[in-house]
Amino acid sequence: MANLTRRGLLASAVCVPAASVFSSAFAAGGEVTISHYFTGELGLKAFDAQIARFEAATGYSMKDSPVGHEDYKTDILVRAAGNSLPDVFSYWAGARVQFIVDSNSLRPIDDVWKAAGLDKTIARSIAESATIYNDKRYLVPLNYHYAGVFYNTSVLADAGVTEMPTDWDGFLALCKTLKDKGVTPIALGSKNRWPAQFWFDYLLLRTAGPDYRARLMAGDASYDDPEVRKAIEMWKSLIDAGYFVENANADTWTDAADKVARGDAAMTLMGTWITGYWDGLGLEPGGDYDFFAFPTIDANVPNTSVGPVDGLVISANAKNVPGAEAFLEFMVSNVEVQADWSKAQGALSANVNVDPSNYSPVMYKAFQTVADSQAFAFNYDLATAPPVAEVGLSMFARFMDDPSQVETILPQVASDAKAAFAQ
Amino acid sequence: MDRTNRFWRIVLLALPLTVFGVLVVWPLFTSFYYSFTNWNGFNESYDYVGFDNFRKIWTDHLFYGAIVNTAIWMVAAIFGPTVLGLTLALLLDTNIRGAKIFKTIFYLPICLSSIVVGQIWIWIYQPDWGLLNTMIESVSGEKFNFAWLARPNSALYSVIIAWSWQQTGLAMVVYLAGLTSVPSDLLEVCAIEGASTWQRIRRVILPLLTPSTVVVIALSMINSLKGFDILYIMTGGGPFNSSDTLAMFMYNESFKKYLMGYGSAISVVLFLIALTIIGVYFRQLKKVDEIYG
Repeated sequence: MANLTRRGLLASAVCVPAASVFSSAFAAGGEVTISHYFTGELGLKAFDAQIARFEAATGYSMKDSPVGHEDYKTDILVRAAGNSLPDVFSYWAGARVQFIVDSNSLRPIDDVWKAAGLDKTIARSIAESATIYNDKRYLVPLNYHYAGVFYNTSVLADAGVTEMPTDWDGFLALCKTLKDKGVTPIALGSKNRWPAQFWFDYLLLRTAGPDYRARLMAGDASYDDPEVRKAIEMWKSLIDAGYFVENANADTWTDAADKVARGDAAMTLMGTWITGYWDGLGLEPGGDYDFFAFPTIDANVPNTSVGPVDGLVISANAKNVPGAEAFLEFMVSNVEVQADWSKAQGALSANVNVDPSNYSPVMYKAFQTVADSQAFAFNYDLATAPPVAEVGLSMFARFMDDPSQVETILPQVASDAKAAFAQ
Repeated sequence: MDRTNRFWRIVLLALPLTVFGVLVVWPLFTSFYYSFTNWNGFNESYDYVGFDNFRKIWTDHLFYGAIVNTAIWMVAAIFGPTVLGLTLALLLDTNIRGAKIFKTIFYLPICLSSIVVGQIWIWIYQPDWGLLNTMIESVSGEKFNFAWLARPNSALYSVIIAWSWQQTGLAMVVYLAGLTSVPSDLLEVCAIEGASTWQRIRRVILPLLTPSTVVVIALSMINSLKGFDILYIMTGGGPFNSSDTLAMFMYNESFKKYLMGYGSAISVVLFLIALTIIGVYFRQLKKVDEIYG
């Protein structure tokens, strides 16, 4: 074994870290800073793998700083206020991107979009709804999700359910059957408030339709309108019948997913990211779990799918613009990256070149369901302005805590939302 | 004053004063400034809105809830650890067996970060398998799954209990230090004269512990005003603002609703409240100093 002198050891201690710093800083294309919310069960490992692919393919070095999903919403605001946004960051398409576009915090990507021919790569419906703000493109869709009623197949089979409901009466009958068998029909983990939004979204979209919902999200309709009242009353009837788990506000979405996986509850209305979580636990898609689309309530109302689009954006003050643009293009155009990432995260790829056979049977069904829908809408907290979304999300939690207070809650929310829109 | 001495005083004070100025004084003044604007925290442009934000405060039902919660939080966060800390100190000062171990155990929580304490208590309060509900179930023999942190009537008090659990150790140590200065011969005289334990505590020990009480209350007050992190991790001000204190309310309005101007106005109100409380406290402190030297 070679002798290591103290001087040699000291020199190594200084040189090795220095070499690693210099090697990343002087990588072929330089360093690109990135922040994202794909942590923990939302795909940190898989995202890191795609970053490594980009580094290997291009010679750029990525400096990654992931932040937990809930904290990310605040983190980005603070960094934007301090002009310290990373070169690239993930963000939710819709009202949140609009908010930071309006504050001039993002860099338009029309040139990259055109040069990379992304019109031919990205599904038209997603490209039109998620990427354009103030007549310019700012976001590339990394993936999208669909919210459906995910259920434990054996729990439903044990209850003798062989056919999934397609209309409201069928859904109520299913809930009653499960309840009579001693199974809690619906799990909900609204501790962080947002998981409750899908109930409001679908009940409103299935009864009042997407046009009314768009007006409500834009502040052109009120939360004490008969349309909102009807949706909330339907939700209340489910809670009053004892179809929801107790203490929904005490659970997170993963707690609710665990309850369904264990068979403590039968189903949960959640986004397709739940498949990534369940697959990670070793559940078999189609075998252990499956989903059905939120049932039709009024056949005359257009069938709308709900979900978020995760995107990548470039900050207005990006230090390494070529590197940031290369990363965006690579992540959305590279078919292998898109296929692996969507599979790992339990998401659908916005890249039309990704072979749908890559999906699990459940994800393929989700893909088909979205394709067959007449419209795609962002979920509540991405469809309305963030200050208003805060008012609405708190309403959902308050409603879940005590649905009998609905007559007090709705006028209060109408007034608070109006004030939030005014600001 | 010696010229060299003065030079070194200026040099040594320059760095901390600069840091204090940049990190405390400057943000304080900018908060005052932004409280008169409608800045959302993002945009470079914003409008001067005069006293609109302050007018809004007085009509905001969430603000009143936050004021009441702040008052409950401060009173409970000051008196809870003080009373518990004093009780523990008096019990452990009686030379009971294993006193050192107990002292270490009771002091341990103060060494943990508030985030860790918050997470421990989230688990304790977990409705389905948490320690508290499991214990209640064992005693009552019936299923009990009350969601302590998810119900508006219990969320704030549940956090206060967690907070007091952490802070009690600090109060206990200060009181234990204070008890060493209580003359043992005085207590012996009391015993010979036939004073009961309660009389000894009430008439002799507590008055002699006044300087310790002043320190404990000061520390509890300062810590309670700073007590944001444990509330943030345990409830985030929820469910639906029911455990919002003024600091939490300010944070949610500024960073979740993106109303930085309004949040700044709330911070100005919070600053004035803190200033008043600390002003009153220092006046009382001066009186105590005059009595005890």
